[in-house]
Amino acid sequence: MLQYLVILLDDTSVAYCHADNPLKEHNLIPLNTLRKAILFGMKENLMIQYVYPEYELPEEYNEVIESIDHVKIGREVAVYNAVPQTITAENAVLRISIADFISKQYDIAALLPQVTRLNISLTDIETFKDEQQENYKKALATLNAVLLNLYQSDKQPQVNILTDRLQLKEMHNCGAGDTNITLAPNGKFYLCPAFYYDEKIGISNRLNHHKPSSERSVGDLEAGLKIPNQQLLKLDHAPLCRICDAYHCNRCIWLNQKLTWDNNTPSHQQCVIAHLERNAARDLQQQLGTDNFEEEAIIKPIDYIDPFDVREQF
Amino acid sequence: MDPLPIKSGDNVWKDGMAKDITFIVTKDCQLACKYCYLVGKNSKERMPWSVAKQAIDYILDREYDSNFNYESVVFDFIGGEPFLEIDLIDKVCDYIKTELFRRNHHWFNSYRFSLATNGLNYNSSKVQNFIKKNLSHLSLMITIDGTQVLHDMNRIYKHSEKGSYNDVLKNVPLWLSQFPTHGTKVTISHSNIPYIHESVLHLFSLGIHEVNINCVFENVWQEGDDILLEEQLMKLADSIIDEGLYQDYTCSFFYEHLGKPMDKTLENQNWCGAGKMLSIDASGNFYPCTRFAQYSLRDKEAWIIGNIHEGLDPNKLRPFLTLDRCTQSTQKCQECEVASGCAWCQGENFDAAKTHTVFERATAICKMHKARVRANNYYWNKLYRKLEMEGKREEFEANKKNVKSEIC
Repeated sequence: MLQYLVILLDDTSVAYCHADNPLKEHNLIPLNTLRKAILFGMKENLMIQYVYPEYELPEEYNEVIESIDHVKIGREVAVYNAVPQTITAENAVLRISIADFISKQYDIAALLPQVTRLNISLTDIETFKDEQQENYKKALATLNAVLLNLYQSDKQPQVNILTDRLQLKEMHNCGAGDTNITLAPNGKFYLCPAFYYDEKIGISNRLNHHKPSSERSVGDLEAGLKIPNQQLLKLDHAPLCRICDAYHCNRCIWLNQKLTWDNNTPSHQQCVIAHLERNAARDLQQQLGTDNFEEEAIIKPIDYIDPFDVREQF
Repeated sequence: MDPLPIKSGDNVWKDGMAKDITFIVTKDCQLACKYCYLVGKNSKERMPWSVAKQAIDYILDREYDSNFNYESVVFDFIGGEPFLEIDLIDKVCDYIKTELFRRNHHWFNSYRFSLATNGLNYNSSKVQNFIKKNLSHLSLMITIDGTQVLHDMNRIYKHSEKGSYNDVLKNVPLWLSQFPTHGTKVTISHSNIPYIHESVLHLFSLGIHEVNINCVFENVWQEGDDILLEEQLMKLADSIIDEGLYQDYTCSFFYEHLGKPMDKTLENQNWCGAGKMLSIDASGNFYPCTRFAQYSLRDKEAWIIGNIHEGLDPNKLRPFLTLDRCTQSTQKCQECEVASGCAWCQGENFDAAKTHTVFERATAICKMHKARVRANNYYWNKLYRKLEMEGKREEFEANKKNVKSEIC
């Protein structure tokens, strides 16, 4: 069920997930389109998340934006594309390559006392090699050590890839096209911002071959939402994910389509990274003491790193 | 269809499951059959020896890789018409045998070669030499649609539009003398429904004991086709039973376990073996099945899962190897009272899907399956009543052949 409407205020709105925004030219959403989008969100009972560009918006936009309860991504939620010295926002997104995450693990760990929540978003999951597993585990352990100290001193910052899994009892993923939908400045809906970027730069469409080759929209403000095969975006139609307990995994539909060509099937890379994080969360949970957690939230030991390898057992 | 079990009756082929590897040796054919699903046939894309050799080396180098670690193997050669490339096929088979022996590969003595041909150059010396050389490891099927009227209606030469029946028929006795237990495959489309009864009986009369027959999966069916199919199959049932043909002949349309509800957990396997199979084209590209190559697809781009130079891309195989029946089926299909035996083609599912997915089951065949189920019920009820009246039911059940419910 849809719960969130992500509105890209401009073509250059900040990328806040692992997909880069390759668009460089400003293209501000028309004010009338923004009003219609807000109205759509109100009528569909959707929580609105505005995604801001770097530049300041014209004053007349602010009045419209403030007409509804919302979250400002790129403002209240700060987005960093490199490891900063300090973070002033309580909630921040750090977009970083796997190599940088590994090499700058101590710099990242030093940021943890400054935040309430840090979302770490790996920008090159598709390049992950099995040989990097050990180094990624070590980097996660470095963050774990800092988190453990902070937790013992009553500070409890959240780090999506480590602490989300501690409390989850079921899948809690990105939800593109299922729990959230994106509206682009052109007034059309997309499963997530990355599909809009792909359309704009003309990447071949593997979502809907009955449309022109690069078009990836799933409806517009006039005709409404039309998501073909929407059931395949839901957990119960994802054979690998529905048996998996890496509950915090992004389960990125865009990455699925890019790497496996099917929206409901995760790549080996996504599964391995999610399981390394899951296992690191288990280590943290063990160190914090499982008595502090509900029985259903206790993470069990497993002997695989990609559920694809043990799919016959489920 | 899952990988075929190797028949235990032949000492050469071990029991168990086989890896199916298909070489698309040419996209050319002498015929232009009206129902052919290959939309991109041409005479230019012929597999070079260098590509075939590199593909074989790639596969045999990975004897214990999970994608190839099957007990047995079937090497298929497909076209177009595969025997247009008999020189290549002969060389490929020789190389496979030599390499299996040289490498002491576990497939040595557990392999077979398989071809389906239009039969036009079956009696050529090159083809006959190939057959004699590989007879004990060879499955070979000639395709005949049925009566001359039906066969010539669909299976016509590509330039003259002349029917090919007489040119095929002259080779049938030679084929049956070499492969007496082999069957033929008949494809039913809208236009040939009225000929099913007489055609199957005609094929039996030619000495073909096994007729594998199926309706096409594409959305070609018109109003009333299901009623017509039911009538034809009931007529066929009457003839097979009344004339006692059931004792020596089988037609895959009649399958005892057809048309039952299916358990969502215990009977949730995928129907098709796409992804467990491997197809290779003339450019050295790998596909999960031939139906995912561009020349088979109407609306989608080819689903290439790797090539002979860079190897398999495991990510592109993951959707196929995680497919199950219920995830790709509509609620209606999952709850269908006559679900068992209702088949699908993963390639057609993909081609007809609204999005780029193998998880959307095409259901164009629904009403034809239901018609088949009704006729099938009639067949078994009538046959068993007759056998009971004659006191022969137990004897029949003890001796009856296994019939495949559906074929690719």
